[in-house]
Amino acid sequence: MGLTETLARLAVRATRILVVEAPGQWQTRVELEQQMLRLGWRPAWTPGDADVLAVCGAPGPELAQLVERLWEQMPGPRVRAAVTSPTAVTPALNDAAALLLDTPAHRTDAQERAQKPQIPAVMDHGGHGEMGHHGIDHSGMNHGGHDGMDHTSHGGMDQGQPGDEDHRTMKHEDHHGTDHSSMNHGGHDGMDHGSHRGMDHGDTDQGQPGDEDHHGMNHSGMNHGGHGEMDHSSHGGMDMAPEGIPLAQGGEDRDGLGVDVLHLPLGPVLPFWPAGLVLHCSLQGDVVVAADAAVVDGGSHADGIHSRHSGLVPAAAVRCDNLVALLTLIGTQDLAARARSARDALLHGDPGGARGAVERLHRVVRRSIFVRWSLRGVLPLAPADLERHGLPDRCLGDAYDRVLSLVERVRAEVNGANPGAPVGAERVPWGMVPHLVTGLEIGTVRLAVASLDLDPFPAVHEVGHA
Amino acid sequence: MPENMPETLLTTVPAGWAVLAGMILCALAFFAAALDSALSARAEGAGRGGWLAPAWSTARLLRQRRRTVVAADTLLLRVGAAGMLGGSFLMVAVIPFGRWTLADLDVGVVWFNTVDVMVWALVWLAGWGANSVHGLVGGYRFLAHGLAYELPLMFALVAPAIAAGSLRVSDVAGAQDRLWFAVWMPVAFVIFLVGVTGFSVWGPFAAALGADVAGGVLAELSGVDRLVLQAGRYAFLAAGAAFSVPLFLGGGAGPFLPEWAWVVVKTVAVLAVLVWLRRKLPVFRPDRFLEIGWVVLLPAAVAQDLVVSLVVVWKG
Repeated sequence: MGLTETLARLAVRATRILVVEAPGQWQTRVELEQQMLRLGWRPAWTPGDADVLAVCGAPGPELAQLVERLWEQMPGPRVRAAVTSPTAVTPALNDAAALLLDTPAHRTDAQERAQKPQIPAVMDHGGHGEMGHHGIDHSGMNHGGHDGMDHTSHGGMDQGQPGDEDHRTMKHEDHHGTDHSSMNHGGHDGMDHGSHRGMDHGDTDQGQPGDEDHHGMNHSGMNHGGHGEMDHSSHGGMDMAPEGIPLAQGGEDRDGLGVDVLHLPLGPVLPFWPAGLVLHCSLQGDVVVAADAAVVDGGSHADGIHSRHSGLVPAAAVRCDNLVALLTLIGTQDLAARARSARDALLHGDPGGARGAVERLHRVVRRSIFVRWSLRGVLPLAPADLERHGLPDRCLGDAYDRVLSLVERVRAEVNGANPGAPVGAERVPWGMVPHLVTGLEIGTVRLAVASLDLDPFPAVHEVGHA
Repeated sequence: MPENMPETLLTTVPAGWAVLAGMILCALAFFAAALDSALSARAEGAGRGGWLAPAWSTARLLRQRRRTVVAADTLLLRVGAAGMLGGSFLMVAVIPFGRWTLADLDVGVVWFNTVDVMVWALVWLAGWGANSVHGLVGGYRFLAHGLAYELPLMFALVAPAIAAGSLRVSDVAGAQDRLWFAVWMPVAFVIFLVGVTGFSVWGPFAAALGADVAGGVLAELSGVDRLVLQAGRYAFLAAGAAFSVPLFLGGGAGPFLPEWAWVVVKTVAVLAVLVWLRRKLPVFRPDRFLEIGWVVLLPAAVAQDLVVSLVVVWKG
């Protein structure tokens, strides 16, 4: 027992925490990061690397479901920490440290939990928000080749269920999150529609009549693409889904080559990503060929939390935090550390120190040739693009221009300048993100999104400007 | 104590000494991890977790359970992860440690190159095996980086071999009794270090493990799988730094200290620079670095080879 005990005590010093930020819990998350740093603990980027699952704030139903799935994916020894407010951080971390040392409990946990990783039987929309571990689930679906498809031909299908008019009305953009096992919409040419009557829809979930966007369904192996070129008989075995994951189906990429399409949700639990934003991406290789944006829990949950917990947060601190994300994504560790210390100085209400930190940050970011090299040419936006997408003027130029203007604004705000235009006019509408990032490589997508200084839940800003 | 006849002085030790070589490599790898962690803690103002943090992280990963994801190719995943650690041991086998060596191959330089090319497969397997989009993207990112750094690295390895007229590592070290190769072929030396950073998936070449793909190849790894892959990266960095000593830094040559001590001192110095640079450089985006690799590094390495060849011919 002595060795186990010693190992546990050493291990706890290097604890890694997967931080889930419920919308509106910016302050709690930042406080958590500061306390983690004090202990020498580090953030985990994925559940696979996490010892502690820390949920900042009270998650809404969709996020709560995700948290459960993340919990299932943690290797163990694993501990949950509910961090309800900034003041709850220290006790929550102390509890987590104590619980991590409880080896017998972890042993029991390991025996009682599922011994094999599983895909939940019902995949709902929310299920996609996790970090892409099942990003290949829907690979069987090809959203690329919809152009020539005749949706009305589905009308002949008899699914024997009320509310199935949705096959005609459904928007295919909404198919992320659905999983239609063994349906083949592809081979219409040689296909006998009558045979659909015999299809087993047993494992699809149509419990909600009129569920128009089919969240909660299971269409594995579905191919909306290759009309007329599919050989239906080869699918006869229906063994297209080893362990429940359909094989990836091809689709034409930018160059007209057939490339597998993978589906990857970015967010809402993803480090250095705007809290609450979910971007459902269809990837070919590492290029995002289609995307669909949403906010977790429909954004409905956030306002209430704000009014209760948010204190006064300087807008400059929020901007510095966005800079931390961007600088971490391009991998300049020291610059990111500077931005973080500037953020923390701003939050600690130390005007002199904050000003110094921001000045230094401003200087090093402007001078860094590496920041320039990494960000030049990323998502260039001309004035016409801004107008078309309804973006504020600060988004003009490429990511490098935006990062400079961001640092510039932080500096102006710290030096007491007027924040400028009202917050509402400055906001980047998150619904525009899919239009901006489609066609980019995934690393570029991350840089592009970070450079937009997005905030899907801008209440923190408004408090800051008040 | 410059040595003129290295062949006669070099002793090939029995295979059992490989254990000691492995321990030295592990110590160097730990040094690299500790230095990196200390530099991180200082830059971020962490309250705890400096030099000893890698030991705690090791304890943590030893205590952590292995996990897999649905339909993961566990075998390939583990071959990739463990291969990183194993590969670094293969690499140090041909490095003379003072007057001792484990294997005095007459194609030692090619052996080094073979092992570093193996990393292509290992990183990709680890990324592929996890059956996760992030891992897969990470694995392919490494291949894209490999396309950019590997050919320049090969040509950089050629330069010392031409100058020494041998592919035997001890001959190359012995050929520098007057002037280190790092001094008169600096381009090859720098490109060699770029290559070492590359096959260690380190710093600027860590796009395969990038924050933008949630850790990429590492995203799904836990417990001992993660430990061996991470340890393998540090060990490869240490092995690459150690290989630069006979190749470019005169081997064990130096005043006062015994030869093996000079090998250690020089290795630690190169390793420290590589670790320190990580914090200063961004992660090179594979698409952007490809241009640098082919337009700048490759011609520079070939030009260096040409210069070295001309010098060798001229000196007769």
